Amino acid sequence: MRQLIIQSAVSGLLVGGIYGLVALGLALSFGVLKVLNVAHGELVMLGGYAAFFLFSQMGIDPLVSIPLVFVVLFALGVALYWLLFKFVVRFDIETRIKNSLLISFGLVLILQAIAVFIFSGDDRTIVTGYSSNALVVTGWVRIPWARSAGLVVAIIAAFALEWLLNRTTFGHAVRGTSEDWTLASLTGIDVRRVYMIAFAISAGLAGLAGSLVSLGYSISPSIGLGWTLKALIVIVLAGLGSMRGIVMAGALLGLIEGLASVWVGSAYRGVVALVVFLVVLSFRPQGLFGREGTHV
Amino acid sequence: MSEQVPTDRRDGMFLMTLLPWRATAGIGRSTSGWQVMWWLLILAATIAFGLFSDNERFLTLAIQTYVLAALASSWNILGGFAGQVSLGHAAFFGLGALITRELWLGGRSLPVAVVVALLVTAVAAAVIGVPMLRFRGIYFSVGTLALAVAVFLTAGNLWPGISSLPAEALRAYEFHARYFSALGVVVVTVLFAAWLKRSKIGLGMMTVREDEEAASATGVNAFVYKMAAFVISAVLAALAGAVFGFFSASYYPQFPFSVVWTFDAITVVFVGGVGTIVGPLIGAVFFVTGRDLLSSTFPELQVIAFGVLFILVVLLLPGGFVEGGQRIYEVVSRQRRDSTTPTEAESEGEKQEEKERMDEGHE
Amino acid sequence: MLKVDNLGVGYGDLQVVWDVSFEVPSGSLVAIIGSNGAGKTTTLRALMNLLPTITGTIEFQGESIVGVPTHQIVERGLVMIPESRATFASLTVADNLDLGAYTKRSRGMRDATLRDVYEIFPRLAERRTQLAGTLSGGERQMLAIGKALMARPEMLVLDEPSLGLAPIIVEDTFDEIRAIRERGVSVLMVEQHVEMTLELVDYAYVLELGHVAVQGSSSDLMTNSGVRAAYLSLK
Repeated sequence: MRQLIIQSAVSGLLVGGIYGLVALGLALSFGVLKVLNVAHGELVMLGGYAAFFLFSQMGIDPLVSIPLVFVVLFALGVALYWLLFKFVVRFDIETRIKNSLLISFGLVLILQAIAVFIFSGDDRTIVTGYSSNALVVTGWVRIPWARSAGLVVAIIAAFALEWLLNRTTFGHAVRGTSEDWTLASLTGIDVRRVYMIAFAISAGLAGLAGSLVSLGYSISPSIGLGWTLKALIVIVLAGLGSMRGIVMAGALLGLIEGLASVWVGSAYRGVVALVVFLVVLSFRPQGLFGREGTHV
Repeated sequence: MSEQVPTDRRDGMFLMTLLPWRATAGIGRSTSGWQVMWWLLILAATIAFGLFSDNERFLTLAIQTYVLAALASSWNILGGFAGQVSLGHAAFFGLGALITRELWLGGRSLPVAVVVALLVTAVAAAVIGVPMLRFRGIYFSVGTLALAVAVFLTAGNLWPGISSLPAEALRAYEFHARYFSALGVVVVTVLFAAWLKRSKIGLGMMTVREDEEAASATGVNAFVYKMAAFVISAVLAALAGAVFGFFSASYYPQFPFSVVWTFDAITVVFVGGVGTIVGPLIGAVFFVTGRDLLSSTFPELQVIAFGVLFILVVLLLPGGFVEGGQRIYEVVSRQRRDSTTPTEAESEGEKQEEKERMDEGHE
Repeated sequence: MLKVDNLGVGYGDLQVVWDVSFEVPSGSLVAIIGSNGAGKTTTLRALMNLLPTITGTIEFQGESIVGVPTHQIVERGLVMIPESRATFASLTVADNLDLGAYTKRSRGMRDATLRDVYEIFPRLAERRTQLAGTLSGGERQMLAIGKALMARPEMLVLDEPSLGLAPIIVEDTFDEIRAIRERGVSVLMVEQHVEMTLELVDYAYVLELGHVAVQGSSSDLMTNSGVRAAYLSLK
């Protein structure tokens, strides 16, 4: 029993890394542009297919193709911004959030249908030489290589994002724009370009997460909404304001899920996260790491 | 916004009789005799179709249209009237279907099963509504989505197997019974929505939608109205679900809980015209017909087409087809106005109708 | 430097500013004065293309800036300090100043300009790692001006610089504005404090209900009986 608990905890932490990575991207687009892109999960899905395609057609290992997938999804993010979200940011904040919710809703349908059309509805997994290998600790705890990448990449991404936002002028411009876009314009910042790049980075991060999902788990056209929900749960859990906090909250959520599944059974694993979400939202809306009085 | 111009009264009525969407747009404010006439005609046509047609394909399409229209109308009450965008509507649709079907296949009579389903849903909605309605805006939307997905997963775990009508029931499957149940449900739902819109409760809901803070400041108990909208829309969704449970020969009990029903209902409402009475109806007809026409080619194409249409509507024509129709009417009636000089009394009457029509479009 | 002719601005269907014309010659210090609701802020917002203009021309250094995106107007050297929320509260003083030099024309000289700004405002240097949101009103005003100076403006526009500040700080602020003009930057300011403003500026336009009611050199206006009656007794 103890073995089961520890192994479940470890597995949960590992998948939690990916939760954090997906949430990072969504936090960026929501925090900066103040749009809620519920199609974020679809971008994860597409990233997974991109990695799968690069692997199955060109033999590129998914860990190697990470930068490529990032670039591809970054480009897609730019395209989506120009075709769609550019129009949404014209509204005031309240209308913007509601309309972006609805519009990205439509985008979910479209992207999912496109994926089904191109890739068919089956599950896919990338199986590499090391897919069945794991780091074995103390004789029996398995830490599969293919699944650890998620946590590692998430931590790296969080630090990279923090560096970008806090230590570069562009990062200051992004933070300034998300605080007050009028003042940002008056400071000579091209707000639309900032929005576009922030959105594209968020899409790239989603793609990254997707490629790790296709490596360590499996992808299919319908997984999008589930990932979006997970990301939203993590963001609510963490509160906005700290990239590190988001990754930690993601890992924490994975851990909670893993432990809970020991008692509740894996069938209800997904329900656990949703219950956590509703509880945190009710009692601590600013999140675990957020400041008192703020909310997402 | 264009000026409010008087039109020749006779011309206006002539147009009204020619263009049913113009006639139907008026429902919710004052309903003129012409509009009632149109509605009765449509109702008579649908009843006649049900009585005399044996074309299973068309009957099925019609039933699907009615169920979707009823579900969309129910969402409209919460999302359109009260302004609370719920993404979890399928939970109540599924609940209605599940309870009705379990009880009915378990031996209870259908009406009893439906009543129980509605009562259980009402209680569930009340219980869920208390914590859920404390959230505002996107929190509410995401919260309802999370809840609906949780319910979906749980339903799939508890009722994993396929649910089929037993053999004799299949042999005795009566399309017409399903048709008239569905028709009855959508008529009841729409009439109720129309009544609600003109009632004090409906007014309270719309006040909350416009500005919840301001509403509270003027003494409107926002929570009560939101709760009323939540429970009413849940019960009506369950009613639609009950018909679906009755109609389906075999299905996975998890299916009516699927988020796809929420998606479809919201798409239908927005494309038709959110906040209006006739919008969900037009939207449902358009949606089911379009889906049927497009599904012969790639089924994904149909989803993509509706996704694009939905986005365009939200961005460009938030009032959906109803708004589109009214804009066309304005253009046409402005051309007619140029050649007529109405009397004082007539122009006053037309101004009033114009104003009501514009209020309608802006709700 | 700046020439505005027959400017008309509105919000939706409501026109608020009518046929406003004014000029800021190079190197001068000009004010637009008037009470609340006169249309001063609206005029400035239209200047920076935060609001669309209904009618009129706006020329900066000989080139039209009507319809030019705001950040490009700043890039050309026309910098505005809004009346409130003129600094990024969630960023530090140093980061605010860093962003101030965001435009390409000012980026290269950022370090030199920063040294100058810290010299003018030693208090900002002391507080450079402090979040702008935690500064006092006067300090935030200093930061707003410092940040604007980082952009190396040809012309500075100030929307009610005295708003919400204690009188002694207003005096300091006006001194700074005078010093800025000495350095060759043209200044346009919008103000409600008529008497103090007229003592500072060369020329002023009085705005009433969206129209230019009176204009003239500051000495002329101070002796103008209409202006005295309407504004100087009420202050």
